[in-house]
Amino acid sequence: MRYPKEVVLKEGREAVIRPLQKDDEASLRRFYAGIPEGDRWFMRHDVMDPGVIAKWMDEIDKDKVFSIIALSEERIVGHATLHMRKFGSTRHIGRFRLMVLPEFRYIRLGTWLLLDLIQLAMDKGLSEVRSDFVVGIEEAAIEAAHKFDFFEKAVLKDYVKDQQGNHHDLLIMIKRLHKRWGDY
Amino acid sequence: MNDIPRFIRWQTPQGSVAIRSRCTTQEIRTLIFDKQFGTHAHYKSLYTRRDSLEKNAALPDADVTLALTDHNHIIGFGVLAYPEPGERWNRLGPRLMMEVKAIEVSRSWRSAGVARGIIQIMMSQPMIEDKIIYMVGYSWTWDLDGAGQSAQAYRRMLIRLFEPCGFQEYQTNEPNICLKPENIMLGRIGRNVTKEQRDSFKWLRFNLLNT
Repeated sequence: MRYPKEVVLKEGREAVIRPLQKDDEASLRRFYAGIPEGDRWFMRHDVMDPGVIAKWMDEIDKDKVFSIIALSEERIVGHATLHMRKFGSTRHIGRFRLMVLPEFRYIRLGTWLLLDLIQLAMDKGLSEVRSDFVVGIEEAAIEAAHKFDFFEKAVLKDYVKDQQGNHHDLLIMIKRLHKRWGDY
Repeated sequence: MNDIPRFIRWQTPQGSVAIRSRCTTQEIRTLIFDKQFGTHAHYKSLYTRRDSLEKNAALPDADVTLALTDHNHIIGFGVLAYPEPGERWNRLGPRLMMEVKAIEVSRSWRSAGVARGIIQIMMSQPMIEDKIIYMVGYSWTWDLDGAGQSAQAYRRMLIRLFEPCGFQEYQTNEPNICLKPENIMLGRIGRNVTKEQRDSFKWLRFNLLNT
């Protein structure tokens, strides 16, 4: 895939998408510091723990996680990852995670990041991709996923709790990656 | 459109073919259109009749480039022309953007480098440097069965085919291209295209050009 990719968002804002690099660590920390605490709460890892981002940087080039970032005026404004298993019954499925700064939501940045991850997953020969969303919290991401033909695979009712102790559904969405005519 | 040879011999593993650019309607009328440019399971050729090529050849500045066997058999074609009226790509200004509307090789001549020859001669015209040339690839028009490739592999093949002639992938929110992630827009910006025109092309790709 050719990088960097230049995209123009709604309202004419511009961004550049490229893979995460080893020297992006400090910028990535600043990015996650700008994500509201309420959103970080639903992530799988505590990104404010310095060891977490350091580990992500170590995983670059290890062929298990592909990380892309979106930059606007040199600042990271979006981060998306494709996670793959090298072994076992789910090695045909990739998992997406995506985070965008609040001021860059609803202007299609998430859509462009998602499109890029889908193309990456197709290049890797995966046949399905999965992404999990918290209903009532990640509405922008769910909307972007629908645009790309993700469908609802399962809803885990009241599966997660927010910081106030309120339950939310966890929505598991899947997209099939078509390869040949017979798949359409 | 002149200066550059209209005709080259192109060597392939299946023998030599003639590649002739800027073919006129009259010239095309004397040639035989390969029967494999037709309808197959899951695939229909972009042009199934010779007169479609003839019509394109009559358009202003259009370039119909043909690959021909010694028996005047058309086994490959490329069509370069201005976009249709009403298309987004017309809004950049008159006669600035041109589309590679078709590039196709008969099934029995595939993988012999014929398409590469067609593109090379097409892109060697001087006027190319004054234009933004683009092509859009829609996976539902690709002969995946004939090529024996997945959509993603076919997409990569297109990039490899066009890149040596200065094309690169461009992002766009054009709805038809966005319908499938494997769809693609490739473009080549000529040396004489101004910075203002390049910037306008960027805004146009995302439908934000104020005209």
